[in-house]
Amino acid sequence: MPRWGMVIDLARCVGCYACTIACKVENGTPPGVWYAPVYEREVGSYPTAKRLFLPTLCFHCKNPPCMKACPTKAISKREDGIVLVDSNKCCGSRACVAACPYGALTFVEEIKGEFGDELTPWERARYPQDGVGTVQKCTLCAHRIDQGNLEPACVQTCPTHCRIFGDLDDPGSEVSKLIREHNGTQARPEAGTDPSVFYLR
Amino acid sequence: MAAVTNPFTAGTWVMEPKPQNIWGVPHTSWFFAMGVGGALFINRALFGVELGRIMGMAVADLLSMILIGIGGLILIGDLGKPLRVLRALLNPRTSWISVGAIADFVFLILDGLWVIADLEWQGARPFAGLPWAGNSPLGIAFQVIAGAAAFIVIVYPGLVLAASPSIPFWNTTLIPLQFLSFAFASAVGLALIFALWLPVPPALLTTWAGAEILLLAATLLLFVAHLIQGSASHATAKVSVARLLKGELQVPFVWGTLIAGLLLPLLLGLYGAFAASPAPGWLAISALLTLPGNWLSKYTVIKAGSYAPFL
Repeated sequence: MPRWGMVIDLARCVGCYACTIACKVENGTPPGVWYAPVYEREVGSYPTAKRLFLPTLCFHCKNPPCMKACPTKAISKREDGIVLVDSNKCCGSRACVAACPYGALTFVEEIKGEFGDELTPWERARYPQDGVGTVQKCTLCAHRIDQGNLEPACVQTCPTHCRIFGDLDDPGSEVSKLIREHNGTQARPEAGTDPSVFYLR
Repeated sequence: MAAVTNPFTAGTWVMEPKPQNIWGVPHTSWFFAMGVGGALFINRALFGVELGRIMGMAVADLLSMILIGIGGLILIGDLGKPLRVLRALLNPRTSWISVGAIADFVFLILDGLWVIADLEWQGARPFAGLPWAGNSPLGIAFQVIAGAAAFIVIVYPGLVLAASPSIPFWNTTLIPLQFLSFAFASAVGLALIFALWLPVPPALLTTWAGAEILLLAATLLLFVAHLIQGSASHATAKVSVARLLKGELQVPFVWGTLIAGLLLPLLLGLYGAFAASPAPGWLAISALLTLPGNWLSKYTVIKAGSYAPFL
């Protein structure tokens, strides 16, 4: 059984946000819910000012604190390492949101349309109407992975190949090689979560 | 491709500490009500701190049940899907909320059964024949289990916060200890307030006042220890401490919690307890101050929580 994960090469990210938008389109997330945000920060001052970009997603931790904190067992980890929220079981306690060191979960307080109170036909079809009052998060596009050979939408869309998807347990996979060769680093290792997302450089 | 600054080697955080905004007033009220409620029951059952009787029933036990019930209702009302509350009992192995929810239900059921057995109505005790009435073995068992549940009810909100690896200021066992000591200080404080109307012997009043003073001093020390630990442990916890001491939470924390909620009651308590004769009025004022102080302490600690940047 693979352990799906991702490598994010920060040197390649140009801050185009294509991953963020591809995710929204693929998953039909309502306004305010971002499964794959890119954080941006400007540092320094002229003439050495720089912009830093940090593409993120749910890190699908091997030891997910959100799953432990959830009182209703609405969060589960599949054998392939993908951590999912079952919105039909979620009671909206937000304990998972508080527990996640990576800000990967969003509590949906209300669902509004992008263009006013009335939803467009696309929004009506795609937004999870029963999701209000529950928590949502990145699924690593499990529905695409389960089809066989599709990558997560953010990975497929990235124009600079900044996001690389693969099997962390396969030493021959591209992600494993990149982690080995470029000393891939996990975020906040001291939290003991063992994320399935590694950053390079 | 132009080189992008590498956060790993440049030592620059791409993110900044982010204040949490998912928990606030409802959680504060929930934590406060459950803490004081649980401590009232334990004080009565274990230490004999009575608040009088109403219709034959112990006021401390009734009030305890009401407060924990209110705390539970606040918790349920704050859920995104309140009708799924019973599902919150499903994960006691790893979720402190689940453990707490079970303890809430156990306490409410057992305390309710225990209290009702003492009910007096028109000169009669209609439930005196219940097998757990009085000091029967079953009654004692009910109290022991309810006491254990009350203890969990007091500390589990603190453990919910302490178990969170994402928010360094919360991630310490000092928080459940603060919750514990402030809950008992508030519960003893309520006894000191009720003592204005009850025939409490001066010696007992002095004992209660002494306990109150010790609990307030312990709570104050725990807060100081928390601030010192926060300043020394993690950069994000340091940001939380700065928000409490110098930022937007300064007034409710420094003035509301530390000074008006702990230090002033401590001094008033010392004066009231060790004056020539115990001064119940001063003790009651001292105790009254601890209640908003307790609420504000929880509110400010919750609001001060900030997510650490992860890159």
